[in-house]
Amino acid sequence: MTSVTNGISPSSPGEGDPQWARTIIGVLKTYNIRFLNLVPDAIGERLLRVARGDPAFEILPLTREEEGVGVVCGQAVGGARGVLLMPTSGLGNSLNALASLAIPYRIPLPMIIGFRGDLGEFNAAQVPMGQATTAVLAALNIPAFTLTREDEVERVTDGALKLAYANEGPVALLVSTQLAGWKNEK
Amino acid sequence: MIDHLEATRYLVNRLTDELVVASLGNAKYALFQSGDRALNFYLWNSMGMACSMGLGMAMARPERRVIILDGDGALLMNLGSLATEAMRNPPNLIHIVWDNRQYQLTGGQPTSTAYRTDLARVAEGAGIANVVRVESLSAYQRAIDKAFSQPGPWFIHALVEAATTHVRPPKSPTFIKHRFMTELGVSH
Repeated sequence: MTSVTNGISPSSPGEGDPQWARTIIGVLKTYNIRFLNLVPDAIGERLLRVARGDPAFEILPLTREEEGVGVVCGQAVGGARGVLLMPTSGLGNSLNALASLAIPYRIPLPMIIGFRGDLGEFNAAQVPMGQATTAVLAALNIPAFTLTREDEVERVTDGALKLAYANEGPVALLVSTQLAGWKNEK
Repeated sequence: MIDHLEATRYLVNRLTDELVVASLGNAKYALFQSGDRALNFYLWNSMGMACSMGLGMAMARPERRVIILDGDGALLMNLGSLATEAMRNPPNLIHIVWDNRQYQLTGGQPTSTAYRTDLARVAEGAGIANVVRVESLSAYQRAIDKAFSQPGPWFIHALVEAATTHVRPPKSPTFIKHRFMTELGVSH
């Protein structure tokens, strides 16, 4: 049995952390992002493994992704920066809060979205939302950038965050399965 | 039963530098009518998001008291937020829920609190440290006085009479945000 207290989960940083995850966390630090708000997914967990134990970050687990939109917006108008980590299914849970809060109130909201329902997916129930993700983001005019290669991670992450704070709105960084891999399950 | 506007006025008269976020509907109308101020953040949609936004504010500004003005219908849309609030356990947070047992602005359809749901017990079960349920103005005033003098988080479940107003707060989302952040002295 494992325990979770105040957002600290049992796994910790180690040699196995992928470079892309270290790079993203490094870029978040350069933007003074303090709060990592999340609903867990396997891709987001790679980022959390790097961030845990780093005093620059506070981690807030949520019950549902829509909550995270409200939480990041509250942090933002309070003068602190946060991001929302979630899987593609979570974007579906977040839509009205994005459309009615972050967008009209013009609040920077970087979302780091782990791609489910794409290349290598074993679970058919993840596919419809996964395949709709880029179209849904486009319908809301939310800029979206997909990370597929290790050598572009730093530049694209940096550019996406710069855009979010300049434009004062949501921006999506999609972490593809080409970069992060997929589940072994058949 | 508590008069919602009178209860909101009692709160507003105590405010100094607190951050206040008000849910869509009567919570924000009564807040505006009781006293507009730059540190009032009015939500024009985003049903259920006032509590999450208040938690974010409380995390960003731990030195300031943050007050969430919620409605029963709005909170029922985001009950999971109570678990998140309890886990984070912010001592600077006061979460007030005005419970009129109906979706008043859409025609008075009953919410589940008109039947068997007790939001104070839901908050207790979620693990919120200090939960008070009040049905009279004097009990409400005592609860507010206590919440302003002792560390939170506080959850004040106030049973109010169904009433509304035609007074409306500013409608521009960006005006509300800029005024709030300017008063707080912060930027993105």
